[in-house]
Amino acid sequence: MSIDIALTLESIPKMLMGIGVTFQLLFITLGLGTALAIVLLLMRISGRWYLSVPSMVYIYVFRGTPILVQVFIIYHGLPGLEFVRESIFWPILRDPFGCAVVALTLNTGAYVSEILRGGVLGVERGLLEAGSALGLSVRQRFIYITTPIAVRLATPAYSNDVISLMKSTALVSTITVVDMTGIARTIVAETYAPYEIFLSLAIVYLIITWGIQKSFGAFERRMSRHVKQETAA
Amino acid sequence: MDATIGWWDDFFWAGLEVIQVFFVAMVGTVALGLMGAAAKLSKSRTAQKIASGYTIFFRGTPEILVLFIIYYGSAITLTSIFQFFDPTIKFVDIPPFWAGSFGISLIVGAYATETFRGAFLGVDPGLIEASRALGISNLKTFFYVRVPEMWRLALPPFGNHMLSVIKDTALISIIGLDELLFVAEQGMGATAKPFPFFFAVGGIYLAFSTVITLTAMMLEKRANRHLEGSR
Repeated sequence: MSIDIALTLESIPKMLMGIGVTFQLLFITLGLGTALAIVLLLMRISGRWYLSVPSMVYIYVFRGTPILVQVFIIYHGLPGLEFVRESIFWPILRDPFGCAVVALTLNTGAYVSEILRGGVLGVERGLLEAGSALGLSVRQRFIYITTPIAVRLATPAYSNDVISLMKSTALVSTITVVDMTGIARTIVAETYAPYEIFLSLAIVYLIITWGIQKSFGAFERRMSRHVKQETAA
Repeated sequence: MDATIGWWDDFFWAGLEVIQVFFVAMVGTVALGLMGAAAKLSKSRTAQKIASGYTIFFRGTPEILVLFIIYYGSAITLTSIFQFFDPTIKFVDIPPFWAGSFGISLIVGAYATETFRGAFLGVDPGLIEASRALGISNLKTFFYVRVPEMWRLALPPFGNHMLSVIKDTALISIIGLDELLFVAEQGMGATAKPFPFFFAVGGIYLAFSTVITLTAMMLEKRANRHLEGSR
């Protein structure tokens, strides 16, 4: 039992070839998922039951089932249905990468929507009352008062969700997408050296996590620059 | 859903397997979470360093990678140890059930460490001083004062940790445990009708998470029962 340094050094560049796929998945699903989350949020807080109930059911289902099951339903399950194969979405769902994007988007949309809702609910009522006293309409109050404050309140939880989305991208290796984890699994199958390969890959993921945390930390400081820093946190 | 008829007994046993993993992993999660929180709050710098290394690693690494490292890593270590004594042995592994439960405990335990740490810090220091003034030993103070008080504060995030554990059980099929997704994959192979099988797995998991959510709500209500009427 010894750690094979040469093999480790040789495999890291190979695994990093997949970092593009990991980042593509992360950014595409983050963008689409956040857009979906905003739609779900607006439906949820619209006050109309025929909009809020579907949104609640959606969030409940996607947060209540494992993401791997969702990935498998979309990758293995949907192509078995006749009407899916004939729909316009088929070119996306035929491709494993497309399936991965759809699954991760649908999943992260549900989580982010709850995070944003927490932010919206955290906005002080007095501010909204002040807004209506100043004659702002409901829409203006939402855009100019609720949104900036809610974004600041939701940022810490949102950054955690971005990290868990980044970790979830590793699951797409189970549906033949060749991301970093997919490459690592291939190398391990050939060399049978799980410690060297998987641990060095874990360090790569840790660096990405650290980068996400740092960038959100900077964003948070910027968003709260009007608040006096009481303690060095 | 006709395709899944005749598979319900497989789903039943696989569901039991998931429940077993859940309970084993929950015990591990609570144990690791308490140890991690105790280490983070201790005065020993070494313990603090180890605990924060633990949480950074397991909160920043994909779950599937942790399971791979534990399962394949332990398999290769055990195999080389056994081959040292008996060269005819080809492959020895920790059963996927235990490797998976341990892996999930390590992952969710890292999150629970942060939860418990925050909750311990939220306990009124006056209560601890009071128990010290009453001459109660540190160990007893920990189990009879700090843990029950902390538990109340930790419950809401702890409910989410329980949900993470049940959802992470789905990953163990990748290292070969015959749980729900594994049955669905077999069903897909046998009938070539994948959708009903995976859909059924989703439904079963949804039922599990519903039960856990309701349990968490009940626990929260119970933990706060002495506060009823005071608000």
